[in-house]
Amino acid sequence: MTAPAWLLIIGTVATCGGIVVSAVPQSMRIGLAIQALGVALIGVAGGMVVVGDGSVGSQFSNGFGPTVGVDPLSGFFVASIALVSTPALIYARGYLSESHHAPAIAVTTGVFVLALVGVVVARDAVTFLIMWELMSVAPAVAILLVSRSAETCRAVLIYLGSTHLAGVGVWLSMLTLTHLGAFTDPHSFAAQPMVAQSLLAGAAIVGFGTKAGLMPLHSWLPRAHPAAPSQVSAVMSGMMIKVALYGLVRMLFEWLAPLPAWVAPVLLGVAALSCVAGVLYALMQHELKRLLAFHSVENVGIISLGLAAALLAASAGQRQLAALAFAAAMLHTLNHALFKSLLFLCAGSFQKQVGKLDLDRLGGLLRTMPLTGASFLVGSMAIAGVPPFNGFASEWLTLQALVQLALHGNPTGTALGALGAAALAATAALAVYCFVKVVGLVLLGPHRQKAVASSHEVPPSMTAPVVVLAALCLAIGVAPGVVLGQMGHLSPFGALPASAVGSTLAMPGSGVFAPVALAVFVVLCTAVLQLARRKAGTTAPSPMWICGQVPDGRLAWTSAGFTKSLLLVLTVVLRPRRTVSVELDGVLVHSVVHESEVPHLFDELLFRPVLGRVLAASRGLRRTQSGSLRAYLTYLLVTLIVVLVVVRVGVG
Amino acid sequence: MRGSALAIAVQLSGLVLAPLLPGVIQTIKARLQGRVGTSPLQPYRDLRRLWGKRSVAPHDSTYVYRLAPSLSAAALAGAVLVAPIGASTIGWLGSDMLVLIGLLALARFSTAAAAWDPGGGFSLMGAGRDLMFSVFAEPLLLLAFVLVAVGSHSTDLVQMAAAAGDLHVATLPAHWCAALAFGLVVLVETGRQPIDNPDTHLELTMVHEGPLLEYAGRDLAMLQWAAAARHWLMLVLAVNFFVPMPATVPLNLLTLAVGVAGLCALVALVETSLAKMRILRVPVLLGAGVAICMIGLASWIAQGVP
Repeated sequence: MTAPAWLLIIGTVATCGGIVVSAVPQSMRIGLAIQALGVALIGVAGGMVVVGDGSVGSQFSNGFGPTVGVDPLSGFFVASIALVSTPALIYARGYLSESHHAPAIAVTTGVFVLALVGVVVARDAVTFLIMWELMSVAPAVAILLVSRSAETCRAVLIYLGSTHLAGVGVWLSMLTLTHLGAFTDPHSFAAQPMVAQSLLAGAAIVGFGTKAGLMPLHSWLPRAHPAAPSQVSAVMSGMMIKVALYGLVRMLFEWLAPLPAWVAPVLLGVAALSCVAGVLYALMQHELKRLLAFHSVENVGIISLGLAAALLAASAGQRQLAALAFAAAMLHTLNHALFKSLLFLCAGSFQKQVGKLDLDRLGGLLRTMPLTGASFLVGSMAIAGVPPFNGFASEWLTLQALVQLALHGNPTGTALGALGAAALAATAALAVYCFVKVVGLVLLGPHRQKAVASSHEVPPSMTAPVVVLAALCLAIGVAPGVVLGQMGHLSPFGALPASAVGSTLAMPGSGVFAPVALAVFVVLCTAVLQLARRKAGTTAPSPMWICGQVPDGRLAWTSAGFTKSLLLVLTVVLRPRRTVSVELDGVLVHSVVHESEVPHLFDELLFRPVLGRVLAASRGLRRTQSGSLRAYLTYLLVTLIVVLVVVRVGVG
Repeated sequence: MRGSALAIAVQLSGLVLAPLLPGVIQTIKARLQGRVGTSPLQPYRDLRRLWGKRSVAPHDSTYVYRLAPSLSAAALAGAVLVAPIGASTIGWLGSDMLVLIGLLALARFSTAAAAWDPGGGFSLMGAGRDLMFSVFAEPLLLLAFVLVAVGSHSTDLVQMAAAAGDLHVATLPAHWCAALAFGLVVLVETGRQPIDNPDTHLELTMVHEGPLLEYAGRDLAMLQWAAAARHWLMLVLAVNFFVPMPATVPLNLLTLAVGVAGLCALVALVETSLAKMRILRVPVLLGAGVAICMIGLASWIAQGVP
């Protein structure tokens, strides 16, 4: 056996051992450390497969026996899972120290991470589906361990319900592909009639798209992610939705090729909707973790834009452009995993210190928690797509792929590429808007409640992981070429052009993007200007200017205030609700209550009616479950008779 | 002349010449309004005066507030050095149009985040409005860029500028639509009327000036220079993209100077003849720009996407 295979086995065994050890309350911290070590080993194995371009273990098989293996694409996802999970597991050592059911949560976290790895290394449909279900259930358990309030139970119900209803798509597509033998024979799918092809592709997109959180199938995501403990939220938002995208990538680029022509435009439309509407609703949120969850919808949209561009370019015969778009999607997968887990972990630290994460009740955390705050600032700049951080590098590549598609494609490619690029540009601007708001309300300004003023930095076991993640965000932002250089083996379209993987990125039809030079220039220039600024003498302290009034905390700007102008412009789209109730005491105004909210229209217009129907149908079905033994015996008898009749008469 | 000594000299001169542009616009505007006005060199005098003063930091502000002026000035300096002059660029900072969008976003992020640090309502009002404009201006800028790139089939700014020299692009409707849209982008990014009034000192009406409210001394000097650099960047790009450039260097520079001066006069004329719009109407104007871009795109597709 090769080195990666040994590492995988040792890592898995170590993680399992860590899970067992962490079940005992006294040794939970040691257990989590062992888990982290094991996952790191698994990640190293994945990385070695990507760099070495050799597969380990079995190939995909159409059988039902359990088979596992790692090829470069799986290796990339395994390495990404480890990059997110190792810091998350180390973080959990500090985060779980005082919580209820800590060992149980630690065990669930480990099982969840192993299930994620299991999905991407599975090489047959049955292993894949078992791991897929385990991956869906583990976070639900973790959420219920933290809280059993009615609201949380509802969130879990919606999460499990919607992912399982849509999970039918995953089961259907995986089992049909096994039946067709499509895992080994690339032509078996193409041999099917057109309708069957479309149905299968549709099932795969609905199934994997729901789990990935693509709009309009995302309703569960902003409910489930905020409810989980922070390290689980980090892995959910960082990697679980990406594992669903992994499934989608396998389907669209390997097993379902050549795809029906409608798939790529539809995927591009769904992706553009996800990124613009995702970030727009994120902007209107007032709770930090819910806001971050909506940003996951946005980023899945950005990744899917890259995937759709790759499909469109491939169908137009532009393999090099397809390879670029695919690499852009993969790089953004990694980048989003890093900065989103960073942000969720920081949010957990804030929550531990302050209690609730209501954006209007925080403020000034950069002063009380300097390390966590600075890391959060880095994560915010990265997710906002600002150079020199990693979010900009992958957004530049995705934009570039879409623009190239517009400039060099056929008419369809031109129209779709330009629309996708415009949507991505709007998304980037909205993300800057959103994270300026978040940074301002969370990190800067006066403390908005006493708990914030008395907060202090969390222990090193919780700061070290976020600092490391922040450093990775900067490193990939400065040198994206290093990572891109290893991605040639991942795509079915061959390697990237050599000009796109060095210290500067460029491809035919684009200008030069020099991330290293830009970062050095901006940093040096800023440093020189800061020195010049100091030379002018000490900075004079002053009160802030509010037309000569005395500053008053009640005048502080809120989350809703900052975004009000955009809300007014987009009233037609967002349909905000506002009620003002004035209570009169005789002729005197006794109290005025103002309430406003931006309803989530996808929930109200799409999700709730569908959910209502489903629940009504279930109520109808429940009547058959009377609990009386005689009724069940009758069902058995009827089933037996039907089966006997079918066997006797024969089907088909 | 990528990387040649002359190219470097010309591009670096942009860093010095940038404050001239708002000065020229103010002078022309004053003349159009029948006033004597200030000298075109007034921005330099302002910068010198501010440079001699101490900076001010409100209570409880952090390094985000102190870093923002330097960071936005650095980002704008980077952008000025990325944008080619004619067909020349220093090269090592890159030459891609999408990089410019990133650098402008960096400047916007840092100044808007700094507005939260003292937490004053007026700065935040301005910052929020600026970011709201950018939500519509950024897709508009990108679509305008894409339509300009139609001529050269490349997003390389040098090649895009070179393609403008080919008179063939002037026959493309897409190019004219791009020019219209880019004109709107110039007005948004430089914060001129009818989008924003750079002369206002009433806190409630400020957009781009709002986040600058708390700053003083060298900090304010850097921010004012950054605003001037934005003028330089946008007007130079406009001349590059839409004015055919002669091949020889002296003529090239002359065309650029005349072109930029002409655009300054045009901006002053627009600013004199149009009142500031209501803030909530600005997105409608920018949306109209996006519609123009769509028409341009449709015309290009109708021509068969060469």
